[in-house]
Amino acid sequence: MIKYKKDTDRIVTLTLDMEGRAANIINHELSDALVPVIGHLQAEKAKGKLQGIIITSAKKGFLQGGDLEYLFQAQQASVVFELAERFKTVLRSLERPGVPVVAAINGDALGAGFELALACHHRIALDTSHLRLGFPETRLGVIPSGGGITRLMWLLGVEQAYEVLASGQLYNAGEALQKQLIDEIAATPRDMMDKAKAYILSTDEGCRPWDQKQSRIPGGTARELGVAERLRALTASLAAHGPDTYPAEQAILSVLYEGSKLDFDTSCRVESRHFTTLLRSQVSKNRIKAFWFDQNFIRDGGNRPKGFGKFRPKRVGIIGAGRMGSGIAYACLDHGMEVVLKDVSKPIAERGLEYVRRHLDQDVSRAVKQAEEREQLLKRIQTTESSADFQDCDIVIEAVFENRMVKQKVMREAEEHMDEYSLFGSNTISIPITRLAEASLRPENYLGLHFFSPAEEVPLVEIVRGANTSDETVARAFDFVRAISKTPIVVKDDWGFFAARVQNTYILEGITMLQEGCPPALIENLGRQTGMPRGALALADSLGLNMVLRYENQAAEHYGTKYVQHPAVAVLKAMLEEWQRPGRQKRAGFYTYKGEERQQLWAGLADAFPAQPADTFDHAELKERFLVAQVLEAVWCMQEKVIHSIAAANLGSIHGWGFPASKGGVIQYVHDSGVDHFIARCKTLQQKHGQRFRLPSRLRSIVEQ
Amino acid sequence: MPEAYIYDALRTPRGKGKRSGALYEVKPVDLLSAALDALRERTQLDPSGVDDTLIGCVTPTDDQGYNIAQAALLQSGWGQSAGSLQLNRYCASGLEAVNLAAMKIRSGWGQLVVAGGVESMSRVPMGSDGGALMYDPAFISGVPYLPQGVAADLIATLEGFSREIADTYAHQSQQRAKHAIDAGYFGRSVIPIYDQNGLLVLEQDEHPRPEATYEDLSALPAVFERAGQQGFDAMALQQYPSLEHIRHIHTAGNSSGIVDGAGLVLVGTYRQGHTLGLKPRAKVIAAANVSVDPTIMLTGPAPAARKALGQAGMEVADIDLWECNEAFAAVVLKFQREMGLSDSVVNVNGGAIALGHPLGATGAMLLGTLIDELERQDKQTGCVTLCVGGGMGVATIIERV
Repeated sequence: MIKYKKDTDRIVTLTLDMEGRAANIINHELSDALVPVIGHLQAEKAKGKLQGIIITSAKKGFLQGGDLEYLFQAQQASVVFELAERFKTVLRSLERPGVPVVAAINGDALGAGFELALACHHRIALDTSHLRLGFPETRLGVIPSGGGITRLMWLLGVEQAYEVLASGQLYNAGEALQKQLIDEIAATPRDMMDKAKAYILSTDEGCRPWDQKQSRIPGGTARELGVAERLRALTASLAAHGPDTYPAEQAILSVLYEGSKLDFDTSCRVESRHFTTLLRSQVSKNRIKAFWFDQNFIRDGGNRPKGFGKFRPKRVGIIGAGRMGSGIAYACLDHGMEVVLKDVSKPIAERGLEYVRRHLDQDVSRAVKQAEEREQLLKRIQTTESSADFQDCDIVIEAVFENRMVKQKVMREAEEHMDEYSLFGSNTISIPITRLAEASLRPENYLGLHFFSPAEEVPLVEIVRGANTSDETVARAFDFVRAISKTPIVVKDDWGFFAARVQNTYILEGITMLQEGCPPALIENLGRQTGMPRGALALADSLGLNMVLRYENQAAEHYGTKYVQHPAVAVLKAMLEEWQRPGRQKRAGFYTYKGEERQQLWAGLADAFPAQPADTFDHAELKERFLVAQVLEAVWCMQEKVIHSIAAANLGSIHGWGFPASKGGVIQYVHDSGVDHFIARCKTLQQKHGQRFRLPSRLRSIVEQ
Repeated sequence: MPEAYIYDALRTPRGKGKRSGALYEVKPVDLLSAALDALRERTQLDPSGVDDTLIGCVTPTDDQGYNIAQAALLQSGWGQSAGSLQLNRYCASGLEAVNLAAMKIRSGWGQLVVAGGVESMSRVPMGSDGGALMYDPAFISGVPYLPQGVAADLIATLEGFSREIADTYAHQSQQRAKHAIDAGYFGRSVIPIYDQNGLLVLEQDEHPRPEATYEDLSALPAVFERAGQQGFDAMALQQYPSLEHIRHIHTAGNSSGIVDGAGLVLVGTYRQGHTLGLKPRAKVIAAANVSVDPTIMLTGPAPAARKALGQAGMEVADIDLWECNEAFAAVVLKFQREMGLSDSVVNVNGGAIALGHPLGATGAMLLGTLIDELERQDKQTGCVTLCVGGGMGVATIIERV
């Protein structure tokens, strides 16, 4: 578990190498193993036989973080609290043997793993491209449990520590050095060990800043008004999103606020108490389910057809240099691929390049990238007006405007120059893939790749399988999406696929409320209060009311005689026909617009749909309807095999249209509220509000699979 | 039950609460001590007969820390009096001190009590004592708790008060204060501040801007928009989801001024006043405090006034003059609307928008202003009320005798 080696300079190297695991993780086994080793080292020090300690790892990574499978099960407060306290005690004794301790970080040091590094007096990281370090905890709705918040606050100051902790950002060695998360970088493993020894021999420092009497937190404590004011502004920026959106970030602020005024050990204990609350909270269970278990399921190839070798796309063709095409181009470049960007003329294609360049400039000014890297990336993108340039592409994606003829034409032109092994993906939101494929030379290599705008940011792609799309093509598309670090979900070629179809029910529910006499501002505020990123009416406007209605008409067509008209349809028709307000594109919808910019709710709504006072409505039920409408539609999608796994549905909902991560996604919602309770609520809602709250017949077996 | 009579009320002039303000060079303990000296001189009271001195102070830290009331008491040579208490009910502290003094008298456990407040906002800035309401992330998110200016803008948005109405109100406050100062209405109560050599430091209120036109006021920027954008507007909408957004109408010109000053009120039994040869000016007939929703926070004056009216068995129409602290224009406008009061009976000599709001002292100062005005107009009854941070309200009803 821990290899112990002492050299002639009386420097002990501890090499972590947990048995039966691919990676070292922090759990009670490792804690149990460290305790006697540290005890022995303290005895050695007392005898004067110890100069310093180096901790490194025999695995590819240094230390991967806490044992989430174990933590996910933890229930009892006292157990969780003791766990956190025990880990802190181990780290505390590690940093207090009276000799310098160096972390020789040879690979990933994440979360609790990086906390161990922070408990060393000196950190040296290997400068390799794959190494990442930092604190990903907030994504899972929890905070570090080993004193990491308090240590980072003492090392970087309150504000810097907050940024590193709350952003959840992971850093490579160079970035970590710049952020002062580490002290040195090393080019090779040997260089790293030499530097570690050199540090130990050059210092007899064995005392952390927080253990020294005269030390101060850089930038001051929350007693200082400047710091307190900054924390207050951060508090407001988080609380603006409601209580459940950023609970971990809020806890970090609390620990910094309190902890900066307390002594080190008490601050650490405050941290343990917040950790305990968060880990036991439903929000964190939901987030861990989505961002750990579901994410791993997808990453490990869940829903990827089996039996096909890994596809490693090197060169990507993109047709259409608009916002979508340029965004996809950036995402591909950023993940090491070459890009051929085509549009009807070279100057138009150049606009896409300009978009990419602006994006890279931003990256450089934000210090996310080096200027040199930007130049390298720009060399890998080529603009063209000729499909002939696609001949070496492994995959070509079209992102031209939503017209079947145009899409088929560009596909056909590109396919002429592509080989039999290359993929062609269409980025569409409303045209059936099977229909488009009719014009394809190789329909088995053809499929839908539905990116979301802005494509460089939204971490989801819907892979739409047409009637003739081969399994191998789906598997390769899956690999491509993974290669640009996005989450692929495989969906059926039905109207709206998965994301747009389910999201539309949120919009329709909001529009229905308008018809019920709900004040429009209330609709928008309560929608956002559920954790949805935007109000239903605002969303309807930006999608276009025609589009919203079109999806619903497609549903009507699909279900035929079984279809029950949604009450929102009448409102949509009135808005479109009577009031001529089709949405943002025409600068008139539920909102008024000044240019592209949304101004305020259209005052005419008051006459068109007379409202009753806000307090005559049951706000909790309105909020529930917003989410339950989506959940039921997602279950229908699973029942109708539009989507094939709970993991895909959950992540698709969070990444695709911002379904609240605090609920863990659109299927996890049912477990969050309890399956029986959910079913009972749907029955009540169905009685009060109609057929759209009818339970899918297989709901229970679907959510409990 | 003995009645609580008011024998005297005085205040220092209000200096601008910044470095250029005349009272910035004066220690807060000196301000309060000067008020105590003046009270002793005017009433010829014997400090040994004073049963308590209750002093409001909202930022009791630094120069105002460690019980500034006792510091001033000892500095003024009142050591033989029965001691002092510093209290904090935020902006109503000075009035709360009077209310507590009245309660002591009416309970029979005190014969003569000095009540008042002090605040040197130039030396000890508002919020510099920290505190959960100001800075604790868990508390602020949990309530949710807004900066007061955002709460005032929330009131304005809910009530539909426009920027124009607020600025018109502010202009009226300035004009009324100018008239009162020019006509000498404050003359009886304001005591000049001198240095230790007897040199005059400040004789009159220096905050009013009588020359400010409505146009000047309407040109000022909305000051709480920035805090709103930090996230506090969204927090307000979470509690008041029928609003589309918060309209920021409050400026430095239609909100209360930041100033330095101290004020005192002498409260006692009839017998004690008679012994001292003092003539009672008024008596306290009701005192009340209430809580309201802490997010909107500043809507306390109307419910507090109603509670006090209920205690006194009075109706709104039974009150001749009202003082409602001009913390923000919307607070007074809302109070007037809720109570159905005309301009002619509310804040008739202006208020904190023109004169300034020395947090801990304002309540006591308003009570003094009200007594002076009741006497000048020869009217009988008056009510003082203030909105209070943390979602509270305080009111006091007095009657001339």
